Amino acid sequence: MSDWLKEFANRFYLNFIKDERWHYITRGLRTTALITVFALILGVALGFIVAIIRSAHDKTGKLKIANFICRVYLTVIRGTPVVVQLLIIYYGIFASVAIEKMIVAVIAFGVNSGAYVAEIVRSGIMSIDKGQLEAGRSLGFSYAQTMIYIIIPQAFKNVLPALGNELIVLLKETSVSGYIAMEDLTKGGDIIRSRTFDAMMPLLAVAAIYLTVVILLEFLVGRLERRLRNSDH
Amino acid sequence: MTTNVADEKVLISVNGLKKKFDGMENHALNGVSTEIRQGEVVFVVGPSGSGKSTFLRCLNLLEEPTDGTILFEGVDITDKKNDINLHRRKIGMVFQQFNLFPHMTVMRNLTIAPMKLLGLSKEEAEKNASELLERVGLANRADAYPNQLSGGQKQRIAIVRALCMKPDVMLFDEPTSALDPEMVGEVLNVMRELAEDNMTMVVVTHEMAFAKEVATRILFMADGQIVEENPPEEFFNNPKSDRLKSFLSKII
Ligand SMILES: Nc1ncnc2c1ncn2[C@@H]1O[C@H](COP(=O)(O)OP(=O)(O)OP(=O)(O)O)[C@@H](O)[C@H]1O
Ligand SMILES: [Mg+2]
Repeated sequence: MSDWLKEFANRFYLNFIKDERWHYITRGLRTTALITVFALILGVALGFIVAIIRSAHDKTGKLKIANFICRVYLTVIRGTPVVVQLLIIYYGIFASVAIEKMIVAVIAFGVNSGAYVAEIVRSGIMSIDKGQLEAGRSLGFSYAQTMIYIIIPQAFKNVLPALGNELIVLLKETSVSGYIAMEDLTKGGDIIRSRTFDAMMPLLAVAAIYLTVVILLEFLVGRLERRLRNSDH
Repeated sequence: MTTNVADEKVLISVNGLKKKFDGMENHALNGVSTEIRQGEVVFVVGPSGSGKSTFLRCLNLLEEPTDGTILFEGVDITDKKNDINLHRRKIGMVFQQFNLFPHMTVMRNLTIAPMKLLGLSKEEAEKNASELLERVGLANRADAYPNQLSGGQKQRIAIVRALCMKPDVMLFDEPTSALDPEMVGEVLNVMRELAEDNMTMVVVTHEMAFAKEVATRILFMADGQIVEENPPEEFFNNPKSDRLKSFLSKII
């Protein structure tokens, strides 16, 4: 028993304490969090714009070209792996310009997430009774005003669980950032492995951190949802 | 209502209005022409599917007419050059299903349009709304959310929401059809008061007794056309067309 414990302590020391290796984990977590937060903001903004264009087109038949562009975007993004998109943006689009890798990652994951957010939000908009649009329009609101003041706030509340889920997916997907040599949480664990030749301990630690963050996010989204639900309906 | 409506100015003038829905064989509206004057209370009755709602919803372009013109205060609102959003501010509408905004308090439901569209301050908008709430007996529900109200309360709020824009005309599409019977009266009372205050109203309804009592004129629609239109006494006591005679015989 004590042999086992000593062995564990040794490995823990080797992987995390020696040479301050735990910094790989904390810095990695910080990078992962930054990519996720900014990609989320970009993704939600993009997703809402695309969803509004798409549902305006469905309702009025206008915005044909914009709708076509949106559909190409959705098809391409959802039809290819995110890691390939990340590499194309890094080596293809930004190859010749000196640009922060962080910005490349935020753009890649934001553009990717936007496609999924768009379809979530669109389903939310479609779930709102058409009487709401008519009531808004009959008061004299334009289509855009009706969306902003009346439809989107209700749609947002309906799709909040799905958006929370998308956030969790996004967080986990950033784990491929290492492909463009970013030192995110996953890469941090991998760097430790390459130094200590111990795969299990750093990777289990990384997994535990992801899991903890995901559980925390689920808890927060659940609370927000309950708050919104209690405020009316 | 002692003045003769024939002397009042024409508020809405409908000419040769037609509406055909995509995929429908027949016209929902097939050449409707009529005038609505200031202060008139026009009821629209007729069998199901005769085009009553379509007619009403064309008046504020919730349905886009296929053909014909609608002059509202002298302006052809079917002309794409005219901004319909400006005209809709003066045309209040009340729906069968209330369509209150569920994510807003009653007060916010009442003030959002006057504030955003007419530029009223919050204080002004809330003062107007409070006075109207008082009149319909719901001053104490300003902070409630729509789902905390009964159907009759919801519909009274929906009427007030439209009134807060100070419209020149109010459109009602079967405002009591979704209500439990015991709540119909409270909504009809509000409408009756509006009529007594000389509000111009166009009302689609199946409440014949109410039409008889409040209407200045009743339109009878069938197959997308106005078959007969007369003041209530004439309408009920002396129907001319066979369609109206058989319609009246079924409902009385
Ligand atoms: N959005 C729509 N799409 C296709 N057809 C429609 C639509 N709205 C109405 N119609 C058709 O147009 C005709 C007139 O309908 P409308 O709703 O105006 O009748 P109504 O007199 O209001 O009937 P009710 O008393 O049942 O409300 C009907 O045949 C109906 O099926
Ligand atoms: Mg109808």
